[in-house]
Amino acid sequence: MMWLSSGFIFRRGTSAYHRLDPRVKLLVSVLMFVTTLLVRTLYELAAVLLFMIALSAFATVLRRVARTMAFTALFSAFIFALNFVFTRNIETSLLYAARFVAIVVSTSLFFITTSPDELEQVMKTFRLPRDVIFAFVTAVRFIPVMFLDTIQIMDAQKSRGLELEKGNLLRRVRNMIPILIPLVVNSVVRSGELAEAMESRAYGAVPRPTSLVEYRTSLADKAVATAAVVAFALVAYSFYFVIPAQIL
Amino acid sequence: MIELRDVTFVHQNGVKALDGVSLKIDAGETVAIVGENGAGKTTLVKHVTGLLKPASGTVLVDGEDTTLTSTAKLSRKVGVAFQNPDHQLFSESVEEEMAFGLRNFGFPPDLVEQRVTWGLELFGLGEYRKSSPLVLSGGEKKRLTLACILAWDPQVLILDEPTVGQDAIQKEKLAGTIRMLSASGKTVIVVSHDIEFLWPIQPRVVVMKAGRILGDGPASQIMRVKEMLDSARVAQPQLVDFYGRLASKPEAPFVDPLEARRWIEGVKPS
Amino acid sequence: MSNILEIEWLGFRYPDSPRKAISDFDLAVPEGEIVVLAGPSGCGKSTLLRAVNGLIPHMYSGEYTGSVRVGGTNVKESSMRDLAQKVGFLFQNPENQIFMFTVERDIAFGLENLGVPRPEMRARVDEAMRLLDIGELALRAPHELSDGQKQRVALAGVLAMEPRLVILDEPTSLLDPKTASELVGLVARLRKELGTTFVVVEHRLDLLVKVADRIVVMSDGRKALEGTPAEVLFGEDAESYGVSTPSITRLQKMLAKDGLVPQGELMTTAELATSLEGGRS
Repeated sequence: MMWLSSGFIFRRGTSAYHRLDPRVKLLVSVLMFVTTLLVRTLYELAAVLLFMIALSAFATVLRRVARTMAFTALFSAFIFALNFVFTRNIETSLLYAARFVAIVVSTSLFFITTSPDELEQVMKTFRLPRDVIFAFVTAVRFIPVMFLDTIQIMDAQKSRGLELEKGNLLRRVRNMIPILIPLVVNSVVRSGELAEAMESRAYGAVPRPTSLVEYRTSLADKAVATAAVVAFALVAYSFYFVIPAQIL
Repeated sequence: MIELRDVTFVHQNGVKALDGVSLKIDAGETVAIVGENGAGKTTLVKHVTGLLKPASGTVLVDGEDTTLTSTAKLSRKVGVAFQNPDHQLFSESVEEEMAFGLRNFGFPPDLVEQRVTWGLELFGLGEYRKSSPLVLSGGEKKRLTLACILAWDPQVLILDEPTVGQDAIQKEKLAGTIRMLSASGKTVIVVSHDIEFLWPIQPRVVVMKAGRILGDGPASQIMRVKEMLDSARVAQPQLVDFYGRLASKPEAPFVDPLEARRWIEGVKPS
Repeated sequence: MSNILEIEWLGFRYPDSPRKAISDFDLAVPEGEIVVLAGPSGCGKSTLLRAVNGLIPHMYSGEYTGSVRVGGTNVKESSMRDLAQKVGFLFQNPENQIFMFTVERDIAFGLENLGVPRPEMRARVDEAMRLLDIGELALRAPHELSDGQKQRVALAGVLAMEPRLVILDEPTSLLDPKTASELVGLVARLRKELGTTFVVVEHRLDLLVKVADRIVVMSDGRKALEGTPAEVLFGEDAESYGVSTPSITRLQKMLAKDGLVPQGELMTTAELATSLEGGRS
């Protein structure tokens, strides 16, 4: 149970990539994402994947990215099987399966290197309503707390003789009731307390709240953003105009 | 009844929650476990009920190794009332809530009925029998969780921070319940910060700090060792502190103010 | 000294409840006092606190009579925005009032909501962290804090709004005794340094009697007792209202009755022992 909750807790990294403006990291991930959609051959995709792996290594998150890849392997195997059944073409099926892995890696690279408060900053850039942003912030903030709640509830019910792994499927589902009800009740109570605390600290007092932290785009951010766009343009151009797909 | 032999437990984050703990609790003893937050008290309790298994060392409950059995089975013998009642109340009615454990342990319907009635009377919750447990006040919820556990008559009772959120009158009743349970031969383990609550009960006191046992013995001895209590960030009972400041004093510290007054009257030439 | 809080004939009934949670309640608190609010569970303490900071009637409506004034303004007629700057509220469970991912951003939460400009906000957040001695936690995430630290962070968030009156709802119930007594020491220091008024709901009187100016005991939504800690605790009725009298005070009360020690002021364990020893030699 604990390992699951630890997956949700952001670990503050210190690499140069972590320190980039979250919007630049988003841009890089989006461009990589689009690139994986543009590629037409396995070789091209392999090159893109290799680049993403190198970038993960640079951002010192290779191990976590590898874990994500291993996790998606199951789904991509499924995608491969499905495609193969319909197309009877190994190469195309492999391409689709590998593309799925690449898509997941490009997005997870963003989420792994971006802290929740940076995510909040990105949401502000897109001018999402404050309520939506705040709902997101509290949801992420309370994930570890709710996991702890779940563990404590399970402990309490097991200590009253509840055997979760006993009986047939129906029985097992019913066994979850003593866990789920307190979890829901606690969440409702918690929301009530949160609402009181928000009111008491002037939530919604002015239409445009200020922010303690200012995210400034540094020279490095601008350089990386420009490089990313130029590289993407070159790659896209070469895919379609310079190197005909048949050569590869 | 309960024995921990050189038990070590390390949390996922690398913190050693228990560090070579050895402890033996005989049947019928009343034991208080004290120490600051994070000292390892709750981790120790979870080992006794099998919720956690030791990384090294052995935990024996009634002669049975906890690694070889399940919490559900152990809890028939060891009942735990956890700190937060909201982490376990889920039934439509108070009586259903009490019946939950009894049914899990396979009690026949007539005995369930009898036990529920007995428990509700004992804790003064009879009038709420058909109400939802969620409408009870904090103190009532706490009593209900205790009633739920006493219902199946475990040999060992563990109370985790039973005084949190309780007013003076409720605390007084709770102390009475603990005395009654001890008197009826139960093994009672109380984990609590509330030194003033524990002192008049005069339990055996186990002082924990950073996953180790710093001190273990009768309250009247342990509570006198100020340096040890200070290093474990445990407060000294006021009456023991007072006793320590007297020039001439009796053998043991005063258990309650009345005893102190009688003694002072005795030595005071009037 | 003027009164920061004036409650006159306050009555409140929740819409779906047959009886009043508060009735005929009167209280005046002079600026800079530490007032302890005690009484058995369910006596109406939580409702009263919510009527002081405006959650009642602005968030919870019901049958409302009488008036509550904070710094001269009527709570019923002011907005939550104004009240948030006048009355700080530290809730029982600090976990549920820390919203943001870092300590300093959470402390800034209320100021951000009020639209305080960044340089001023920075200064106020830093000052709040200095007051509570949590500067080194500035960039920590909430799940990396101990219970005592969470309590301090939540209190810093309240103090950053610079309220004249701060409500603490059972602030020590989740803390171990040493951490709890550090928190009480902190409250005493803040009162001295900032002149802030504190209203504290607490069962554990042994820690608070030393710093409190006044104890108000509630019962069934009414004010049952009011006085200095000595007046209330040496009185006959305190125990019957579920107020836990510290054991040393109970002893002092018994000894004073026999004329062995004076009764005027509450004594600490050390003072009581000295007083007895002095009398004997």
